[in-house]
Amino acid sequence: MVRWQRGLWLFFLPSFGLLALVLLWPLSYAVYLSFFDYYLGSGERTFIGLGNYVDLLTEARLWNSMRTTIIIAFGSVAVEFLVGFALALALYRLHGSAKVFSVLLFLPHIVTPVVAALFLKWMLASNWGFVDATLLTFNIEPPDWLGDPVWAKVSVILADAWVFTPLVMMVLYAALQGLDTSLLEAAQIDGASSWNTLRHVIVPALIPAIIFVISIRLMDVFRFFDLIYVLTGGGPGTATETITIYTYQLGFRMLEVGKASALGVITLIVVAMLLLTINRGLNKAYRGGDR
Amino acid sequence: MTNRLSVTRKVKGATAALLLSSIASSAVAQDAIRVISHRQPALEYYTQQMIDALPEGRVSVELMPIDKQLELASITMSAESDAIDVLYLNDSSFRRFASNGWLEPIDDLWEKYQDEYDLDDFPQSVIDAVSFDGKIYAMPILTNTELFFYRKDLLEDAGVAPPQTMEEYMALAAQLDSARMAGTIMSLKPVDAALNEAHWYINAIGDGWFDANWKPIFNNAAGVEAITKLKEMSEYAPRGFTAHANDESTINLQQGLAAMGLQWFTRAAAMDNPEQSRVVGQIDWVAPPGGGARVANDGFAISAFSSADREEMFKMMAEAASKESMQEGAKYAMPPRLSVLENADLAQQYRWYPAARAALESGKAFPAMPDFNDVGEIVTRHILRAVTGEAEVQEALDQAAAETEELLASRGYYN
Amino acid sequence: MSAQSYPGRRRTTWVIFIALCVFTFINLTPLIWAVLTSLKDPRDAFTIPPTIIFEPTLKYHIEVWTENDFVFYLMNSLIISAGTVFISVPAGSLAAYALSRIPRRSAGPILSALFTIRMFPHMLLAIPFFVMGTFLNMIDTYPLLILALVAINQPFTIWLMHGFFLEIPRDLDEAAAIDGCSNWQAFRIVILPLARPGMTVAALFSLLLSYNEFLFALILTGTDTKTLPVAIASFGGEDISSWSLSAAGAIGIMLPIVLVMLLLQRHLVRGLTAGAVKG
Repeated sequence: MVRWQRGLWLFFLPSFGLLALVLLWPLSYAVYLSFFDYYLGSGERTFIGLGNYVDLLTEARLWNSMRTTIIIAFGSVAVEFLVGFALALALYRLHGSAKVFSVLLFLPHIVTPVVAALFLKWMLASNWGFVDATLLTFNIEPPDWLGDPVWAKVSVILADAWVFTPLVMMVLYAALQGLDTSLLEAAQIDGASSWNTLRHVIVPALIPAIIFVISIRLMDVFRFFDLIYVLTGGGPGTATETITIYTYQLGFRMLEVGKASALGVITLIVVAMLLLTINRGLNKAYRGGDR
Repeated sequence: MTNRLSVTRKVKGATAALLLSSIASSAVAQDAIRVISHRQPALEYYTQQMIDALPEGRVSVELMPIDKQLELASITMSAESDAIDVLYLNDSSFRRFASNGWLEPIDDLWEKYQDEYDLDDFPQSVIDAVSFDGKIYAMPILTNTELFFYRKDLLEDAGVAPPQTMEEYMALAAQLDSARMAGTIMSLKPVDAALNEAHWYINAIGDGWFDANWKPIFNNAAGVEAITKLKEMSEYAPRGFTAHANDESTINLQQGLAAMGLQWFTRAAAMDNPEQSRVVGQIDWVAPPGGGARVANDGFAISAFSSADREEMFKMMAEAASKESMQEGAKYAMPPRLSVLENADLAQQYRWYPAARAALESGKAFPAMPDFNDVGEIVTRHILRAVTGEAEVQEALDQAAAETEELLASRGYYN
Repeated sequence: MSAQSYPGRRRTTWVIFIALCVFTFINLTPLIWAVLTSLKDPRDAFTIPPTIIFEPTLKYHIEVWTENDFVFYLMNSLIISAGTVFISVPAGSLAAYALSRIPRRSAGPILSALFTIRMFPHMLLAIPFFVMGTFLNMIDTYPLLILALVAINQPFTIWLMHGFFLEIPRDLDEAAAIDGCSNWQAFRIVILPLARPGMTVAALFSLLLSYNEFLFALILTGTDTKTLPVAIASFGGEDISSWSLSAAGAIGIMLPIVLVMLLLQRHLVRGLTAGAVKG
């Protein structure tokens, strides 16, 4: 190690000091609470070891919400990736007018989530929502977007996609800008079809960006809350009850903070494992972009 | 480079100055009484009365949706913080907060100001509703009850009288249901809206929620019939009823998209508001068929951790709950004061009062337990599973009953 | 480079252009509809068929900004966002730089730890944050919310900046060191100017997070520091006559951030291209 690197730890100080002071404490506190039977109302807490975890892992509700979360998470990340990638490619092809489009298409992403949820509710509400009202005008009987167990999942996935596709698009578009054009030209000269160019030249070069954006989205989609809460409240029944909605019910509705914290830790472990697997898989599939 | 640096420095300086000034300013403003409340027309009115009751700047009110308000209040009070001084509570949340020891008893002040504010004017039932364990904790501000809204023009065309029993209601809903108009509104969005709707069926058709020992009875034969009826009724509900709360149902009535149904008293005035409604003058009201729809007494309570002057806060609440204030507030919600409620002029001014008085008689409050909100969270989830066909009614209710019993056991109900 | 250089592909470009126009329009309907809603009376807001032609009124926009203290909340939002960005980005950049200059086997675990923090459901941090704020007597002050936002924002900022710094060759700082620069001088004079596009991106995302954050803002602020998202949510209550107000408020809350976006859009793409996504 070179001499000048020695003082490098000072650079960590502001950030990690702040994290330790502000974030580590609440985080450890939350993890600590997960070992207690702690009902916020009574203020008393009893140490029950892994009791909350055992409780949660043996109840059907957790597994049900886990399944729902996974369906919604993968559904929306898939939609976001496919649409976002298509948009990025389209923008890349367009050149001049791309800038205008990229600004307009990015707009949904900067809307405050609470507000975005409200906007989408005005679209999807049955009868008087914009979509229904329009379809009904033309005498088309629309499905029950938020009230039917299957459609509610679809609506929630589309809602998430509406907000986050722009992010995926932007990252991939930026990555395309950094693409080595000589590779593309070489492919063209070799007479490769567009599909082959995409598959064998563009995608491999984009792997780091793809991993980045999919990881980010998967991490966040598991915490996905505002939109579902406003649109369906987890309903109908439990059709759109994700782990986060369940955590909210436990922690903020029933004030069972210990159990809610345990659920948080479980979420974290599941997401971490999932991400690891996916990253490994993606890396392997393309023999790891540049690393 | 140096130029850029000095800009950064200036920006940093400005940020620091802003931060410092913000600390200073917040320290000064801290002594105002902070009131938080759910936002709806009646509460907008009564919180304004509180602001007017004290000199300007003494009271600051924040209005927000009820779920956010309760979250904020629960977190604040569980941390024993004095950040909130006075808060709005409905009957079920009131009991929970009182039993948690988060509210300040006000019996002494109640006695002291009994004459000045004519507090005897509140009927005993209302005082009971704001009391817990023999102590008074809140100033009653409004009585809310669910009414049966119906389109009188449509019923006249059909040549029928408003329904008095659940059977009549269902038959009529079937009759009026058409492609363009739902037979009845139903608000089944979890948790609050669905719980209110279920409360009605469980009381009108079933035997209620609990027996005398807090053991669930909503899954007995009558309870299963009640929820089965509710499920059958949903055939005539507008599409999307499982995501509908009061707002959506109100709009469906106002836009002429539904013929009738259960809705709060506080929504009645909106039916006749031409800015919002397309059915002005066409809606009429009766007490809900079968009885047993929800009646609630809401009030304002003082936080046990407030560091503001409790006498001042009490007077502020009492001003807002005064006879004059309620006379005017009667437009938005039913006033709990007898002298105001029994005033014959009200019925003339506001068409829905006769129905409201009848509904008050036949209605039923939520079970008087601090944990009914949590029970409701469990029950509505399972009822909705039954309604959407995820589970059979009996199976769903049995599971709800089992979970409820487990919860109540953990909260010490059966010791 | 791509499109024009291959003749005969013009038509495809046109098809793409038109498809994009259609998609963009559909994609923006919720926003357009919200703008229309904000200009209508509630009576016309929810009708079948949808009311497209109506007499627009600005009264709800005016009401929101004049009668509801929205200017005050906007100021709060701006102070809190600015505070967050100006603490989060510099602190995160420093850490990310150091992280990019230490051996990968030490950096890896630190990055993973940061991820882990990011994955924990934020709502569970709300209660501990509140307890901490109460203990420090800082509830309803700007610094508390700013610190909380900086903290939850740090992992992403560090991660993003780490990618940028990896792209900057180590030879540069080594050369600076040989010239006798200290760590700090090397960073400030050599590295920092190169990392500016990245910092713009990090700043933009920090801004989005802090300007839009709802839950912490609800719980940690009060009368004096309430932010716009909390203020706007307070209209989502019982009374539909406030829905036109909600819409007007919602449009209002978007405008400042749209403005920032328009100004920074170019930097966003360039910044992202420069390396953030290669980490």
